[in-house]
Amino acid sequence: MTAQEVRLCGLLLQEHFGEVVERIGTHLLRGGAQNLRTIANETNTPLDLVKKSLCVLVQHGVCDFGSGRRGPGSPVEYRGNCERVLRILRYPRYIYTAKTLYGDTGELIVEEVLQRGHMTMSNTVKTVADRLTHNMEEGRSMEYSEVVSSFSKLVETHFLQRCPPVAETATAAPSATPATHRTPASVTPPTAESNPDCYKLPPVTLTGRGKRRRSSDDGEEPGGVKKAKMDSESCGDEGIYWQVNFERFHQHFRDQAIISAVASKLDQTSSEIVRTMLRMSEVTTTPTAAYTQPLSANEIFRSLPPNYSISRPILDQGGSLTGRSDLHRALANLARATLESVVQERFGSRSARIFRLLLRKRHLEQKQVEDFAMIPAKEAKDMLYTLLSENLVQLQEIPKTPDHAPSRTFYLYTVNQLPTARLLLQHCYKTVANLIERRLFETKENKRLLEKSQRIEAILASLQASGAEPEQLTEVEEMITAPERQQLEALRHHINKLDSTENQVDETIFLLESYIISTKSK
Amino acid sequence: MVCIFKNVTPLAEHYSKLTFPHVSTKTVQLTSGKIAIKSSNTILLYELCQQFPHGITDQVIQNDMPHLEAQQRAMAINRLLSLGQLDLLRNSSGLLYRMKDAQTASKMKGSDNQEKLVYQVIEDAGNKGIWSRDIRYKSNLPLTEINKILKNLESKKLIKAVKSVAASKKKVYMLYNLQPDRSVTGGAWYSDQDFESEFVEVLNQQCFKFLQSKAEVARDSKQSPMVQRNSSFATSHEVWKYICELGISKVDLSMEDIETILNTLIYDGKVEMTIIAAKEGTVGSVDGQMKLYRGVNPIIQPTGLVKAPCGLCPVFDDCHEGGEISPSNCVYMAEWLDF
Repeated sequence: MTAQEVRLCGLLLQEHFGEVVERIGTHLLRGGAQNLRTIANETNTPLDLVKKSLCVLVQHGVCDFGSGRRGPGSPVEYRGNCERVLRILRYPRYIYTAKTLYGDTGELIVEEVLQRGHMTMSNTVKTVADRLTHNMEEGRSMEYSEVVSSFSKLVETHFLQRCPPVAETATAAPSATPATHRTPASVTPPTAESNPDCYKLPPVTLTGRGKRRRSSDDGEEPGGVKKAKMDSESCGDEGIYWQVNFERFHQHFRDQAIISAVASKLDQTSSEIVRTMLRMSEVTTTPTAAYTQPLSANEIFRSLPPNYSISRPILDQGGSLTGRSDLHRALANLARATLESVVQERFGSRSARIFRLLLRKRHLEQKQVEDFAMIPAKEAKDMLYTLLSENLVQLQEIPKTPDHAPSRTFYLYTVNQLPTARLLLQHCYKTVANLIERRLFETKENKRLLEKSQRIEAILASLQASGAEPEQLTEVEEMITAPERQQLEALRHHINKLDSTENQVDETIFLLESYIISTKSK
Repeated sequence: MVCIFKNVTPLAEHYSKLTFPHVSTKTVQLTSGKIAIKSSNTILLYELCQQFPHGITDQVIQNDMPHLEAQQRAMAINRLLSLGQLDLLRNSSGLLYRMKDAQTASKMKGSDNQEKLVYQVIEDAGNKGIWSRDIRYKSNLPLTEINKILKNLESKKLIKAVKSVAASKKKVYMLYNLQPDRSVTGGAWYSDQDFESEFVEVLNQQCFKFLQSKAEVARDSKQSPMVQRNSSFATSHEVWKYICELGISKVDLSMEDIETILNTLIYDGKVEMTIIAAKEGTVGSVDGQMKLYRGVNPIIQPTGLVKAPCGLCPVFDDCHEGGEISPSNCVYMAEWLDF
């Protein structure tokens, strides 16, 4: 939990949940496991606010609780989860992926679950149906069954999973046998995967249609009240909450990155083959596996989409007969390409040449670098020293004599991929935090203007709803002058740009994080 | 090598001051009366040496002239050595005496022993040349003497000084008619101690264009993927031929030069290389292998981090919220947002 990470987490929490939660959250992240009293005292917030924010954090999986360090009798301790907060940055990407795979329904389902943290299936289905109905034309509404089918598809492909059951409280622990429960004395909370029913849909049938929400419909028919009561009846799946399976989404992103890399390196056909191989092993490999399962050429050939008519001989030529992807190597290559591209954009193509040279040849002397890279000595020296000062390149001393006399020592330049990747990852976090801060700053600067435009929009909307004449509308519109309108446009443009750049930097973060995690698990 | 025998006669110096008539062939003109008393042995030895242009050992001399005692033999050898007619070499079985080339023999007339010593040291350094300090170590002569001798030899056009590329102030000396070695002048990429970067750049681009066009032709041919891939490869020999035909280089480039250029393209990430086994004798193969090169696309687009100004910012580490440089007042961001 570096300073940059904590800063970024604080900004994200503030944007999504507000100031109080942000304060509690950053305190948790900085301070490790703490119990309720400590949090309340150190952050000077009233106890009930602390409780509420902790509820919010737990609901979203940011905070875990477990029994205290001094054994089962001590007060419960809460722990913040930094990684989970950083996932918030990636929500747009998850939603977009769901949209491409499962259409609008899927997109809305994932969006709802992300927003609420944990939700029951029936709740989700109802909300999504209502939302979809709201966007459809008059007179049509969304069938629950369609939403349910999308939901089940998401569960089948493991994009959604059940939340792990909550551990028993400390008082009940002694009576429970260790065989049936995880004893609360263990500090690690149960993971979602440990539940064998993790991907089983609850046996409920939901029938009905989405309700259209009318803004002027205050006086509901008496039937509406009854309907509301019926909706709040238990649908048989109380207590079964669903959450988004982030690991599965990450697997999907990783596969996409590998496929596009193969496509640009070899050609379209090979990338299709790789895509099929990866898809077939989607559900069978764990997220941290180094290799996908071996697949025979027959299976691959059968599962290829029919419009790619490749004859068997070509498939055989394209790779080994039992195909197996080395995921670690693929991730390492992608991370290496990322590092190289950063050096290239930042320092120029010649420095990039030196960087790639050092990556390949591991250790080189100054003279050898100049010779291999075919760059004049003075310029090469300059570039190497710049890279050294940015810590992208390290110097290794090999003494010839026991007294490390500089004239009798070899100085070798080298690049270590893993530490450099970590360094760049921290840079990325700082960059995203900078972008968010700039966005907040821009919004604050133009707060007056934004408020004014909002007021005018509200006035316009109310006038239109109550049927006003065109002259009144234009009069209201003219309350915003032309330069102000331009400023507003520019502001909107800025904020969009900052937002989209955050997402792009997040892609880099994802690649580097996957690489670092894959090396840790070896 | 000049050998200092224990029984070097003082007359050696005397002989070296004699002027020798220019000998273009190896006819023995030693029979001129000017040669001193024990010339018969010397002449015999001389003739013997002529018979064996590759050199003779002590054993051979003994066999041929059994009447010669060891000391007399040594004196004769020394005489010829000091006259500069013989070369003393050492091989695995002992000492070897060899006829010196007549041309070089004539050059040394008028030089004294020290100069000859220095000359021999420089000659031994071959075409890499030797630094003046190393000459001093090898010959154990004081610095002033060395400098005088070097100036002398240079004026006689026997040696020349070549500036080294590695250290621009260092001068190495080598024989006048030798071509300096590549490591000293830097080979084809250096002209007068200057690295020709534009030349390298031009070659770089030409090679890359050639490989790229080959890859495109292969891709457009729409054959099966493996055939496409194979036909987009080019051997280093093909690239070399293409560059030679282009004629953009005034210096002759060897295949190794082209390979160094192709290696820089690999380090640019634009080209990849594989090595295949090739039969000896096929065009362009070196030690039973051939190197194939192929143009490639980068495997990812420029990464997300560099799309933000922070990724390229030179003062990234100084940037803090609330400081002089902060995201709120960042000039780079302001410019970038208005773009």
